[in-house]
Amino acid sequence: MAVDEKLKIELGKQGVMVTTIQELYNWGRRSSIWPMQFGLACCAIEMIATTMARYDLARFGSEVFRPSPRQADLMIISGTVTKKMAPQVVRLYNQMAEPRYVIAMGACAISGGPFKQGYNVLKGIDRYIPVDVHIPGCPPRPEALIQAFMTLQKKIDEQHLTGEGRPRHLDEQAPGEFQVPEFGEHDLDPPSNPGTWTVPKIIQ
Amino acid sequence: MASSPYFSLAVLFVVALGFGLAPLGLAWLWQKVFSPAKPNEIKNAIYECGLQSRGDAWVQFRSAYYLYAIIFLIFDVEAIFLLPFAVAFTGLGAAACVSMLVFVLLLIEGLAWAWAKGVLTWA
Amino acid sequence: MKSVEEIKAAIETAVPGAAVTVIPNPAPNAQHSLLIGAQHGVAVAEFLRDNEELALDYLSNVTGVDYLDKEIPEKVKVTRQVSKTVDGVEQTVDEMVEETRKRVEPGYLEAVYHLFSVAKKHGPVIIRMRTANRTDQVELPSLTPVWRGAEFQEREIFDLFGIVFTGHPDLRRILMWDEFKDHPMRRDYVEPDDFEYEPTAHDEVLKRAQEHKAKVAAGEAVQ
Repeated sequence: MAVDEKLKIELGKQGVMVTTIQELYNWGRRSSIWPMQFGLACCAIEMIATTMARYDLARFGSEVFRPSPRQADLMIISGTVTKKMAPQVVRLYNQMAEPRYVIAMGACAISGGPFKQGYNVLKGIDRYIPVDVHIPGCPPRPEALIQAFMTLQKKIDEQHLTGEGRPRHLDEQAPGEFQVPEFGEHDLDPPSNPGTWTVPKIIQ
Repeated sequence: MASSPYFSLAVLFVVALGFGLAPLGLAWLWQKVFSPAKPNEIKNAIYECGLQSRGDAWVQFRSAYYLYAIIFLIFDVEAIFLLPFAVAFTGLGAAACVSMLVFVLLLIEGLAWAWAKGVLTWA
Repeated sequence: MKSVEEIKAAIETAVPGAAVTVIPNPAPNAQHSLLIGAQHGVAVAEFLRDNEELALDYLSNVTGVDYLDKEIPEKVKVTRQVSKTVDGVEQTVDEMVEETRKRVEPGYLEAVYHLFSVAKKHGPVIIRMRTANRTDQVELPSLTPVWRGAEFQEREIFDLFGIVFTGHPDLRRILMWDEFKDHPMRRDYVEPDDFEYEPTAHDEVLKRAQEHKAKVAAGEAVQ
């Protein structure tokens, strides 16, 4: 049951707080997104700068970097994912408890970046795990990472507890495990997870 | 019953218990209604370093570490006795010195035994 | 420091039978290098390190180079029997004909070592070794027993070029995973076809894009 916005403001002026469980739940989740503590390449330096005093990620309730995937809500793919590293990243993502989110930070994490034509770099981590927010840049500035956090918070705020559009962690049918690629003879096997990624269609 | 002097205590006890258990119950209820558990093999793996987990977390330590720790502890305690002995040394009689000597010798014998048994070699 | 020719002479007197060739470098820095026969590689390396005058005690860099099979067109004069009509009579005559033939020079893999001397403060001395071909005879002697610093770089060359260093203490892949079969830095390496839309495809990328589209049209690849 939705509360009328105007009525809510009016009640607030009189000292009465009205909310819904969904709002309370989303408020709680978006205000304490704990990222996992790991860096893959140079973007990690910008990520570290974001958490420090000048940019102060603590304002968003995200300063608690957890060294264990089991306690983290958010995975920041901060840098180049080499093909050799990809299975480890996917395995760590699988070990995170739901609800979990992914920010792909920087050109390499979203597409392979300058190494796109190389033999050793994954062309974007969204080939294996679902990414919530992409940040372009090489590396993105701390402001861009903060923007990504705000985008993610907005995304969480709009999630519904029930119904068709509910997020993956509330849906019994949605997958909880994502395929970990194997090391093949020429490439990772499979080269992408068809459940999460398809080749982008070219629209002329 | 209400006249019992312990009645208020009992009420407080029940409230305290409820205060602790109610959030747990609510969390359980929330979990039942909204968020389905989706365990899988990778999520339940023992280690979380990203590599494939191998083996069990219940590993056996060598008993040599245990002996090492005990020997350390004995001499740690001995130092506590030796310090007041050293401070009061000038004012002590012959009997006190002899009994302290026996105490230290007993411990040294233990060390010599451990040494001879090869406990102190780290291999 | 001694010049390359002097070093070559010194090596040839110290290691009898060592085949040393000077490969000149026409660039302004004139860093000429020494091509060393693979079978005397370790002996030559030990001489370069232990010789008091050279004392090349520091290996700064090892790298690999891949040379493909080369086709060299050659003009050859051949005598052939040609039928001709001379004075109204048909007869066969030997005639010299110039023909263009193609000679295939087999390719090879090469390891290049850059040596310096910390004690004498001179360098670099560059030595090279070549494999017999680039398919089945790809062994070179490892110089890790001579300069310990070569270990990881020789592993990298083994990984990316496929040169097998005999006598290496721990020859495994270092960058790619163990199950990997190819050697990505070789010139004829074929990347896995995971082509994806490129906004500004050109040159190589454009070629790959067209190949990929042809494959999709033939139904061999997805999208």
